Amino acid sequence: MEHHLPKKGIFNASVLQNKNLGDKFYRITLELEKNGKSVFSSAVPGQFVEIDVSRLALPAENLIPPQYSDAAKRNIILRRPFSFADIVCSEDSVIVEILYTVLGPATMRMKTLKSGDTISLIGPLGNGFSISENKKTAILVAGGMGAPPLVHLSGLMKSQCKDMEIIVFVGAKSISELAFFDLKIDKLIKTKVKLGEFEKHNIKTHISTDDGSAGLKGFVTDMLKNWLIQNKPDAKDTVIYACGPEAMLRASAAVSTEFKIRCQVSLERRMACGTGLCQSCAVKCLNKEDGSNFYKLCCKDGPVFWSDEVVWE
Amino acid sequence: MGIEHKNIDLSVKLGSTSLKNPLMTASGTCGYVDELDDFIDINKLGGYITKSITIKPRLGNDVPRIVETDSGMLNAIGLANIGVEKFIKEKVPLMGRYKTPFFVNIAGQIIDDYVAVADKLAQFKQITGLELNISCPNVKQGGITFGTDPALVKQITCEVKKVIRDKILIVKLTPNVTNISTIAKVAVDCGADALSLINTFTAMVIDIESRKPVLANRTGGLSGPAIKPIAVYLVNKVYNEVAKPAGIPLIGGGGIRTASDAIEFIIAGATAVTIGTASFANPDCSVKIAEGMKNYCARHKLSSITELIGSLK
Ligand SMILES: Cc1cc2nc3c(=O)[nH]c(=O)nc-3n(C[C@H](O)[C@H](O)[C@H](O)COP(=O)(O)OP(=O)(O)OC[C@H]3O[C@@H](n4cnc5c(N)ncnc54)[C@H](O)[C@@H]3O)c2cc1C
Ligand SMILES: Cc1cc2nc3c(=O)[nH]c(=O)nc-3n(C[C@H](O)[C@H](O)[C@H](O)COP(=O)(O)O)c2cc1C
Ligand code: FES
Repeated sequence: MEHHLPKKGIFNASVLQNKNLGDKFYRITLELEKNGKSVFSSAVPGQFVEIDVSRLALPAENLIPPQYSDAAKRNIILRRPFSFADIVCSEDSVIVEILYTVLGPATMRMKTLKSGDTISLIGPLGNGFSISENKKTAILVAGGMGAPPLVHLSGLMKSQCKDMEIIVFVGAKSISELAFFDLKIDKLIKTKVKLGEFEKHNIKTHISTDDGSAGLKGFVTDMLKNWLIQNKPDAKDTVIYACGPEAMLRASAAVSTEFKIRCQVSLERRMACGTGLCQSCAVKCLNKEDGSNFYKLCCKDGPVFWSDEVVWE
Repeated sequence: MGIEHKNIDLSVKLGSTSLKNPLMTASGTCGYVDELDDFIDINKLGGYITKSITIKPRLGNDVPRIVETDSGMLNAIGLANIGVEKFIKEKVPLMGRYKTPFFVNIAGQIIDDYVAVADKLAQFKQITGLELNISCPNVKQGGITFGTDPALVKQITCEVKKVIRDKILIVKLTPNVTNISTIAKVAVDCGADALSLINTFTAMVIDIESRKPVLANRTGGLSGPAIKPIAVYLVNKVYNEVAKPAGIPLIGGGGIRTASDAIEFIIAGATAVTIGTASFANPDCSVKIAEGMKNYCARHKLSSITELIGSLK
C-alpha cells in the first residue's frame, strides 16, 4: 500500500496568551503540540484552522454583551474557522497567532480562554495566497475584521521578497474596527492614525473609514482606485491581495478587471467541516472555456481564489 | 475485570457481507472515498457509505447551505456531486486501496435515474453495496417524494434490485412520514437487504432581523445530537415491527457522537451505526467509538457485539 503523508491533522494547542485589543477584538497566541510541527511548518498565509469551542464555558452572565445574551444560550456542535495571523516555527515549537472578533456564541466562549488552557484545532486547512516573487509591487487591501491573513502575508512577504514594494490599503467602518492592527492615534489630530502591524515592517499604509473617524472618509476600494490612477503601476508587475467583507472583495475584483491587475481574494463561507467533507461552503465559479458556472469549495479549493474565477453576485 | 479486548468480537453481518465493526460513515458527511485519510485509517471502519451520486453531476443549492442550531445543524446541500461517470472514473479506483467495504449512496429525480446509476455501479467489484437515498429533503424533485409514497418505494426498490446483481441493497428511510414502518415493510418486501435510518428532519431557521429563512433553500434537514432520541425510538419501532420479524439488519444513525450513543442504537435494534454530523467536529470519532464499544463489551462481559443487537428490555 502506498504511504500516506498527512497534510493536516487534529492537534491540541495550549493557550499562551489571549489578549483583548479593545472593544470586541482579541489576539490569541497558541502553542501547538510538538507533533503538529511537520504539517504546520509548511503552512502559508490565507490558510486557516478549525477550532473546537464546544467544551468551553461561557463568560459570567454580566460579561455577556446584551445583544448576544440570546445567542449565548445555544449549544455549539461545529468547530469555527479562523485564519492564521502569524505562524512561527522554531526548532522545538510551533506558535500560531489568531486575531478574532467576538460576534456570537463561539467567539464569546473563546474570550474566556486563558494562559495554560488547552484547545483542539484542525489544520492547516485550505489553500493560501500564492506569493508571486517576480512581481515588483504587491497591493494588500484589508477590510476591517477580515484583515488577519493580510497581517500574516505582509510580514512574510517583507522577509521573503526583499525587492518587492508592498503597499497596504486598510478600510473599516470606523476607527474602533482598526484594533487588529495595533492602532496608534496621533495626539493632536485624532483621525491621523498609524498601524503598528505594518509600521514595524516599514510598509506604506493608506487608511480609510466609512465615517471618516480615521484616515480618509470613504471606501477602501475607491482609495485604491485613485491611487492606481495617480501612480499607474505596470499591471504585469503588480498583484493585489484582498481580504474582507464580500462587498469589498467584489469591488476589488472590479478594480482588478478595470486595471487588468491580477487579484487574489480570501472568501468566507459558513463551514460545517472545513475539511472538504460536507459541501456546505460552495463558491460559484466560472468555467472560462464554456462560460458555464460550477462550484468550488471554499474550505478546500480556497479560501483564497483568483478574483476572475469567482462569479460575483 | 471483564473480558480482554482482544477476545471481543465487534464484527457484524450485513446481508451477505461481514463488517469488522458496526461503524459506518453516513452519506454526505465523509466525502466520496479518501477524504478522511488525513485523520483516520479508513481500514478501521466497518463500512464506508459515500456521498449521494446521481446520473448527471449536480451543482447543488445556493449558499448558505448550512446553519447551526441548538445541538444540531440544518443542511440543504442539494445533492451536489460529481455525477456517476466522473465518480466511476476518479473515485471508484481509489476504493481498491482499502479493505473496508464501500457502499455507494445513490439518488435521482426519476426512477429511471436510480436504475441507470445502480446498473453502472453494480459492475464494479470494489463496491459492496448500494444505499438508495429516497429520503433527501433538499431537492425539488425526487428524494423525499419517493420515500414518503409506499407505491413509489415499491417500484424503485424492485427496479433497482433487478439490476444490482450480487450487490447488497440498503434502503435509506426518511423520518418525515406518518408511519415509518409502512415504508420499511414495502422496502423489505421488495428485496432490500438492509434498511438504514434515519435521514434528516425537514426544518427551518429564521433570521429574525430580516424575517427570512437563513438557508437559501429556505428549509433544510436537521441532523446532529438534537435528533438522536427520535432516531433511537424509530430504530426500535422498525426493529420490532419489520426488521426482526423479517430477519433484516438495520443501520441506525442520527446524532451519534459517542460510544454510548452508538450502543443505545444497537440495543434498540441496529446492527450497524452511521456517524454523520459528528465527523465534522471530530473526523476521527468513528474510530474512537469502535474503541469505546470494546470497553463497554468488556464491562458487560459480552464476547460479541451481536449479543447486544435488539436487546432492549
Ligand atoms: C476561512 C475563514 C477564516 C476566518 N478567519 C477569521 C479570523 O481570522 N478572525 C475572525 O474573527 N473570524 C474569522 N472568520 C469568521 C469566524 O469563523 C466567525 O466569526 C465565527 O465562526 C463566529 O462564530 P460565533 O459562534 O461566535 O458567531 P455566529 O453566531 O456563528 O456568527 C456571528 C455572525 O456572523 C455570521 N457568520 C458566521 N460565520 C460566517 C461565515 N463563515 N461567513 C459569513 N458569515 C458568517 C453569522 O451569520 C452571524 O451573523 C473566518 C471565517 C472563515 C470561513
Ligand atoms: C451536510 C450533510 C449532507 C448530507 N448529505 C446526504 C446525502 O447526500 N445523502 C444521504 O442519503 N444523506 C445525507 N445526509 C444525511 C446523513 O447521512 C444522516 O442520515 C443524517 O445527517 C443523520 O445522521 P447524523 O445526525 O449523524 O448526521 C447528509 C447530512 C448532512 C449533515
Ligand atoms: S466546510 Fe465542509 S466542505 Fe467546506
